Amino acid sequence: MNLIGKNITYKPDTQFHLNDVSFDFKKGNLYTILGRTLSGKTTFLKTIAGLLNPDTGELFFEDKDFSKIPVWERNVAMVYQQFINYPHLNVYENIIFPLKQRKLSEEQIKMDVEDALKTVGLVGFENRKIQELSGGQQQRVALARSLAKKAKILLLDEPLVNLDYKLREQLREEFKRIFSEGLSQDTILIYSTTDPQEVMELNGEVIVLHEGKVLQKGDAKEIFENPKNLKVAEISNDPPMNILTGSKSSDKLTFENISINLPAYLKDLKSQNYYFGIRASEIKLDKEGEEFEIELAEISGSETLLHLKKGNSKVIALIEEVMNFKIHEKVKVKFNENKFYVFNNNEELVSSPYGSHNG
Amino acid sequence: MHKLYTFLKYTFITLWTVFIVAPFLWAISTSFKDFQSVNSKVTYIPWLDFEPTLEGWRVLVKSPARGGVDIVEPYFNSIFVTCTASLISIILGTLAAYALSRFTFKAGFVRNNDITFFFISQRIMPPIVLSIPFFIFLSTIGLLDSLLGLVVVYIVLLMPIAVWIMVDFFNRVPKELDETALIDGCNPYQAFYKVVLPNSIPGLIVAGMFCIIFGWIDFFFAFILTFTEVQLLPVKVVALNSSITPWWSLSASALISVAPLIIVAFVVERYLSKGNLSGALK
Amino acid sequence: MNFKHKFVFLFPGLFVLIGILIFPIIFTIRLSLSGWNSYTPEMNFIGITNYIRLFTDDPRFWESFFRLSFLSVTTVILQYVIGFALALMVWREIKFKRFFRVIFLIPMMTTPVIMTVIWRTFFHESLGPVNDLLGNIGIKPILWLSDPVIAKFTVIIVEVWQWTPFMFLLLLAGLLSLPKEPFLAAAIDGASPFRKFVYVTFPLMAPISIGAIIIRLIEASKIMDTVFVLTSGGPGTATETSSFYIYIKGLREFQMGYAATLSFTYLVIMIISLTIIAKVLTKLMIKE
Repeated sequence: MNLIGKNITYKPDTQFHLNDVSFDFKKGNLYTILGRTLSGKTTFLKTIAGLLNPDTGELFFEDKDFSKIPVWERNVAMVYQQFINYPHLNVYENIIFPLKQRKLSEEQIKMDVEDALKTVGLVGFENRKIQELSGGQQQRVALARSLAKKAKILLLDEPLVNLDYKLREQLREEFKRIFSEGLSQDTILIYSTTDPQEVMELNGEVIVLHEGKVLQKGDAKEIFENPKNLKVAEISNDPPMNILTGSKSSDKLTFENISINLPAYLKDLKSQNYYFGIRASEIKLDKEGEEFEIELAEISGSETLLHLKKGNSKVIALIEEVMNFKIHEKVKVKFNENKFYVFNNNEELVSSPYGSHNG
Repeated sequence: MHKLYTFLKYTFITLWTVFIVAPFLWAISTSFKDFQSVNSKVTYIPWLDFEPTLEGWRVLVKSPARGGVDIVEPYFNSIFVTCTASLISIILGTLAAYALSRFTFKAGFVRNNDITFFFISQRIMPPIVLSIPFFIFLSTIGLLDSLLGLVVVYIVLLMPIAVWIMVDFFNRVPKELDETALIDGCNPYQAFYKVVLPNSIPGLIVAGMFCIIFGWIDFFFAFILTFTEVQLLPVKVVALNSSITPWWSLSASALISVAPLIIVAFVVERYLSKGNLSGALK
Repeated sequence: MNFKHKFVFLFPGLFVLIGILIFPIIFTIRLSLSGWNSYTPEMNFIGITNYIRLFTDDPRFWESFFRLSFLSVTTVILQYVIGFALALMVWREIKFKRFFRVIFLIPMMTTPVIMTVIWRTFFHESLGPVNDLLGNIGIKPILWLSDPVIAKFTVIIVEVWQWTPFMFLLLLAGLLSLPKEPFLAAAIDGASPFRKFVYVTFPLMAPISIGAIIIRLIEASKIMDTVFVLTSGGPGTATETSSFYIYIKGLREFQMGYAATLSFTYLVIMIISLTIIAKVLTKLMIKE
């Protein structure tokens, strides 16, 4: 009764859009696909929708061969990152469009649309033209249309990426509510995003996608605490996790002439060269710390991102307040020694601050 | 410097406007003349230079038997051929343009762009190159000197225009729109007529206008492929020219022939100012 | 997207077009290898005799072709320069902008042959207004239609009148679709109108210009209607273009076989030269 994909590969030109992707999605669950732009997320969703035919691989849903069923009979719903609605129809007509297409009864349609409008908070907007709505409202209409269908598979392709910061926060909260209340246990929800924060907040099963390949599967906590390799560590953090090359000796971690007392959880690690990973939020300004030069200081919201440099190493530090820095100014920062991830030369995780990982 | 530029600009615009309007003014004036006021000396302004008469206009609706010109039938012939051929070209051209904009075609070395080019390149065909074989082709199938025969030929003339404009237009309609329609339960045909077509009206109007213009102004095919049974407007007017040349009826018939399309200029300008034409005419 | 439905969209148009064209094209090629004329109106086979005649013994065709090249290149250059100037002038805010736009568009909506009939009376050497007005300021009557050199320019004037609007339309549509940012940047830099044109407008318009020039060259290469009515190719052969010459050979002298040879050769030359022109223009106008 699940949605099962087996070894799906799609390579329309020289690059893989999907590379040997397999999955097993269960009803009533939320799956998030995390990956950068062009990592194959949209291809992934379009393949499930039936808009693309993969070169090889199989797709099953409810024990039927899904690839034999054309898009328009699959009963899926999809929300795009561009706000796609039917411009020639008003809000109400947009939402009933798929329902009319399925020839549901008038009363049924009316009820479904009212429910959907209520869920997305657009009651009273029925007769508005799409062009008169703001971006956020347009995306709500698209979502309402998808919800009203009561599709068994609901696909959301970076639905928030084109909204401004504030609206994104607000809609993200609403999405969480809608997903927990408004969806039946019959629905598989697949949500793609580039934003690790969204993944953490939605808290579903995560699939990390890179160049069409699945790098890691697991729940959000697992991905966050035990990123399988360097790539996952970069993708699943925003700003990307800082990666430093260095070595471990019996009592120290050393990188770029900086020595750090060996934290307890790394005691058993073999002494050799490693990649060390540390999140931007674990680097703090500290007068006792190491001196770095500021290359760039970005202020986003209530935070400041400091791009720092020392020797050949560049790191990003996240300061949780708005501060003004001058470029090329020297600052001292301290690394939180209890938050180092360690990756071996094959870029695989060997140790995590949240419990070791057998890489 | 700036003042000089403005002066030159308005001078140029004025001169060009005069140049454009001149033949029309001359034709309007001539259409109210009679033999005397055309042949004695060159006259311009009615009542001042010559006594105006409506004779030139009156003969247009008289039958030839009573010394008239009768452009009514050619007028309707022209409208029929232009509209029918435009309609067929738009329908077929729009469908083909949609296919070329949305789907991928592969056949040997042929790709979408090659097929698009094949359509558009038919405009390169000089009418004379086609007219001789068409002459023989239409006489073989018995469509020489018939409206239907002209419609067939005009389709070749107009479909490239429809494809050219509509491919560009569809390329600017996000393909996610059709995809959403498919996901919402439309098969590709339904997606096309329920969602894509209603959102393509500006493109269709532009394409329609251009088909009508280039259909209406054709002379050569009509000239070669029709004789007595059917006459189109341009052929009729030119035929007047070769006879004893009554300039007044010639001018009147010319004016009434070009009048309907001048309205199109207003429509084109509207679309231009609204920005709908910009992408469509890349 | 890839569904089998795609063929239902493409094929009707494609096959109708091919269906209408396939016969004329094959027929023209076959006809060009025959000696079909008014004495022997039959599809015999005489090999490439017609082509040998064309390439060795028909200077009139080549003259008409060079005349056509001269006429079409000259008119298109004039149309481009004037059309671009007009488009620039009514692009931004000026008084009566929309009125002028309509006026500038009108000639392309009129039927060329019909307007040419009017032009014929306009340029009439004794009864036309041009010579009359020139006479008022003391200029002797000009032989607009009967002097071999001047007649060419009369054809050019009429062609420019008729088709500059099309160039104007394509270029104005292009101007209106340009992004705003480069112009803002140039305004901030305080660039003069001239520099703005040379460094911003013209380069941005290059692809559109090339498209417009090619489209107009294609249409201009068919110059026929104007010549047919205005001068009938005369005086002598002074304004005879390729199309008109083929028309005379084929449909007046009924040398169908030879006319087909001319047609086919003409078409091939047209395709080759337009391709070359497109390539050269692209090289000249688009740097990098």
